[in-house]
Amino acid sequence: MTLATGVGADFLRALLQGTPPGTVYALVALGFVLTYKTSGVFNLAFGAQAYVSAAMYYKAHTEWGWSIIPALVLSVFVLAPAIGLTLERLVFRYLRTGTSVAKLVVTIGISLALPNIFELITNFKGVVGQTPAGIVPNGSGVFYDPFGVYPFSRDELTTIGVAVIAMLCLAALFRFTAIGLQMRAVVESPRMTELNGIRSDRVSAVSWALSSTFAGLAGVLIAPRFNTLAAPDFFNLVVVAIAAAILGRLVSLPRALAGGLGLGMVIALLGTFLPRWVDSNPWLRPFQENLTPAVPFVVLFGVLVLWPAIRRSREVSDPLSGVDPPISSLALATRSARSHLIGRVFTVGVLGTVATIVYFRADASWMFLVTQAVIMATIYLSVTMITGLAGQISLCQGTFAAIGGFGVYQLATLHGMSVLVAAPIAAVIAAAVGAVLSLPVLRLGGIWTAVATLAFAFFFDAVAIKFSWVGGGNTSLMQGTRVPRPVLGPWDFADDRAFLVLAVVVFIIVSIVVVQIRGGTIGRTLRAIRGSEVAAQSIGISPARARVVAFAVSAAIAALGGALLSIHQKNVNYGSNFSPVSSLFWLVLVVSLGARTIEGAALAGAAFSIFDPLILRGTIFGWILRSPKRVPGFFPISPKWRLILFGLGTLQFARHPEGAVEFWRGRTSRWLAARQQSAPPAPDEPTESIGVDGAVTS
Amino acid sequence: MTALLEARGIRKSFAGVMALHFVDIDVDAGETVGLIGPNGAGKTTFFNCVLGILRSDSGVVRFDGRDISGLRVHERARCGIGRTFQRIELFAESTVREHLLIAERTRHGTGRLWKDLLGMGRPHNDEIARCDEVLELLGLGAVAEAPIEHLSLGQGRLVEVGRALMTDPKLLLLDEPSSGLDRKETADLAATLRKVQSEKGFAILLVEHDVEFVAGFTERSYVLDFGTMIAQGPTREVLRDPIVREAYLGVPATEGT
Repeated sequence: MTLATGVGADFLRALLQGTPPGTVYALVALGFVLTYKTSGVFNLAFGAQAYVSAAMYYKAHTEWGWSIIPALVLSVFVLAPAIGLTLERLVFRYLRTGTSVAKLVVTIGISLALPNIFELITNFKGVVGQTPAGIVPNGSGVFYDPFGVYPFSRDELTTIGVAVIAMLCLAALFRFTAIGLQMRAVVESPRMTELNGIRSDRVSAVSWALSSTFAGLAGVLIAPRFNTLAAPDFFNLVVVAIAAAILGRLVSLPRALAGGLGLGMVIALLGTFLPRWVDSNPWLRPFQENLTPAVPFVVLFGVLVLWPAIRRSREVSDPLSGVDPPISSLALATRSARSHLIGRVFTVGVLGTVATIVYFRADASWMFLVTQAVIMATIYLSVTMITGLAGQISLCQGTFAAIGGFGVYQLATLHGMSVLVAAPIAAVIAAAVGAVLSLPVLRLGGIWTAVATLAFAFFFDAVAIKFSWVGGGNTSLMQGTRVPRPVLGPWDFADDRAFLVLAVVVFIIVSIVVVQIRGGTIGRTLRAIRGSEVAAQSIGISPARARVVAFAVSAAIAALGGALLSIHQKNVNYGSNFSPVSSLFWLVLVVSLGARTIEGAALAGAAFSIFDPLILRGTIFGWILRSPKRVPGFFPISPKWRLILFGLGTLQFARHPEGAVEFWRGRTSRWLAARQQSAPPAPDEPTESIGVDGAVTS
Repeated sequence: MTALLEARGIRKSFAGVMALHFVDIDVDAGETVGLIGPNGAGKTTFFNCVLGILRSDSGVVRFDGRDISGLRVHERARCGIGRTFQRIELFAESTVREHLLIAERTRHGTGRLWKDLLGMGRPHNDEIARCDEVLELLGLGAVAEAPIEHLSLGQGRLVEVGRALMTDPKLLLLDEPSSGLDRKETADLAATLRKVQSEKGFAILLVEHDVEFVAGFTERSYVLDFGTMIAQGPTREVLRDPIVREAYLGVPATEGT
């Protein structure tokens, strides 16, 4: 304990307390800005990279019993740069002409795949209930108190020391080495640098290795602050880093550093002073208890709303943009009307057969999974809406779905409303939230939408659900957030079969809504904006208005699906259904299978729910071989493969944003068209568009 | 009588570099005006200030008697300012007709969410007819259904013109329409533009490099150099002006920045 008292001493103590995490945030922000500026990649996989290094350190030091130095070298100076180089060499080098949104989606995929790949290879199981060790012996047990105000633990002092050394090294690299000079040049203007004969891919590789090392270092340093070692904690680190980096408009390294440090201190200051106000303002309590996720969100939105300069940064145009190669055209809809019809009939036939079998033959567990698949497909139509139609990346669809679930819980359970009335009301509430949320980022679009929605998802996760008017407060702790099944006239949806029918009906209705919007004015307007925002504006389209509508509709769909899911499970189950990480997985799933089509959403729903039991556990082979005993020995495959597979599935997004389903369909129909042409021509082939087939096959 | 477009005292600087220095430009209804100057003269900056893509540091833009300086890009477009782009900007994955359809729909502002939901958002026959009329006028009737990825650059530029025409503009801003086109394509474009203009009666403000094109196409011209207006008047006289000749061809020190 210190002898100093009073506000001044508290203030000083908070500043000192905020310094160790602040320096780590600064590290992450620096690494983040580095990749963003040198390769245009808004690297959301940064948290995953930090996690892998932290986990590697834990594995080597604690489990294998290595001493500190070799474990540190392996995790931070070997593994981390290797990951950075691999990502640069195998992934991002091929995406250089892609849009920043496409690259962002790829990093989301990687951030899901990477931790699972690591865990599979090293057989690492997350650490729960044990604080990971730091990089000095007995780090959390020995304290030093240089100012007589705040006792630093040994870990904290090491953190500050190592972070400062790392930053000095970076500064020295920039200042005194050739590659540092080239990196600065690339940061100023990648194109000019390339025209001057500097190989920017080498610069890019170095900066990836460097920023990855920063991520690894930050991961190892921050790990002792958690009492677990799990990937989602580290994802939150990215949000903090973005909030820090945004203060430097994502491009200034010194400002990112200051931002990180400042954020650490602000969090500590609030942690010190907020409790004094909480007694008189109890609504502040959820903030106070979860400052680390809450402050970045407030900062992020404060900056976006109150700092107009950040919007003007879009005005900076590349003077050489006129010499850019034209954007490659997308794989077009090249199907003839007949093959289109055949495809439709086939799809409906298969689905009908499956539905009939499930309806009459499935046992309770399969019925549950199939119903869940249908509901998830409904939720995924919200991704079709916002990402497929509007071209915006939303990372808080899970939050909107949760609003649907909690809305039903509040209205139906606590206020006695019918569930069937409550669900649409919850959808309207979510639409309003979505519209308000999209307002500050509307004119920015692109990565800013992703950032804002991600921050919102974490904010909701940490703070909002603690409010009793959202998550039910103490009542839900005692009884859970229970939701009843509805009864409508003669149908009692407590019966699982009846509920499956209800889910299918809702899915069909929402599909029709999406198809109508896609073909109508709003869909065409959104397509125009996606095609060329300046051109859309030049004919009087307001991109902001169109995006508000898209956002609101998407939020409503997600909430409807979320409500349905909660009714199905008779409980909101926020943690397992709607957490921020699940939002990421949803996006990845839909994007890799097809964000533009209803079929893509439907398949994504199936993949979410049935892929694991059917494929990974080998059940389908049991059916084919007619005996569960003959299933090959390597089943069941680890469910981590699901995340790896679909995470890596996003890699094709930059070149084929229509997703795997459309892509292979296009391939097939082109192949068929080519075969038809070599055969005698079919009489009067009705084609959907003139000149398409010829252009493709010639 | 006031001019259709009145830009008064437009000033714009980028980080201390004066890109536009108190520029005044008038365009009357129905007339064709050129805006020429060497690279870096400030033509595109001026264009962007008129369109609202950039905000000028000072100065007023009036259109049709109304001060539009405070309006946003799409609001100015709705006032009746159409444009084409130097590097063509078309909507990916859309057919030629769809480009015109969305412009037509936006002009009427009849798109509503509930209409889409009830299936009333699909193209109506009268809309399609109006689009096809313009497509015929531009000679694009044969490619109405083609996706824009399969058009030539010249056709793409005409699609931009058609899309702008669907908004029923009083003024059409053409940003270097001849860039990327050969002589014959340029001549065809000029002929088509003249034909459409005589039918629809809008005014044209042309930013152009190709002096020959400007000479044959415009009645009046303004010449910018380093953000300053150095000459204005009938195009043929302006092009003979020794100051203009010096700005374009003159001493190496003043050449293209």
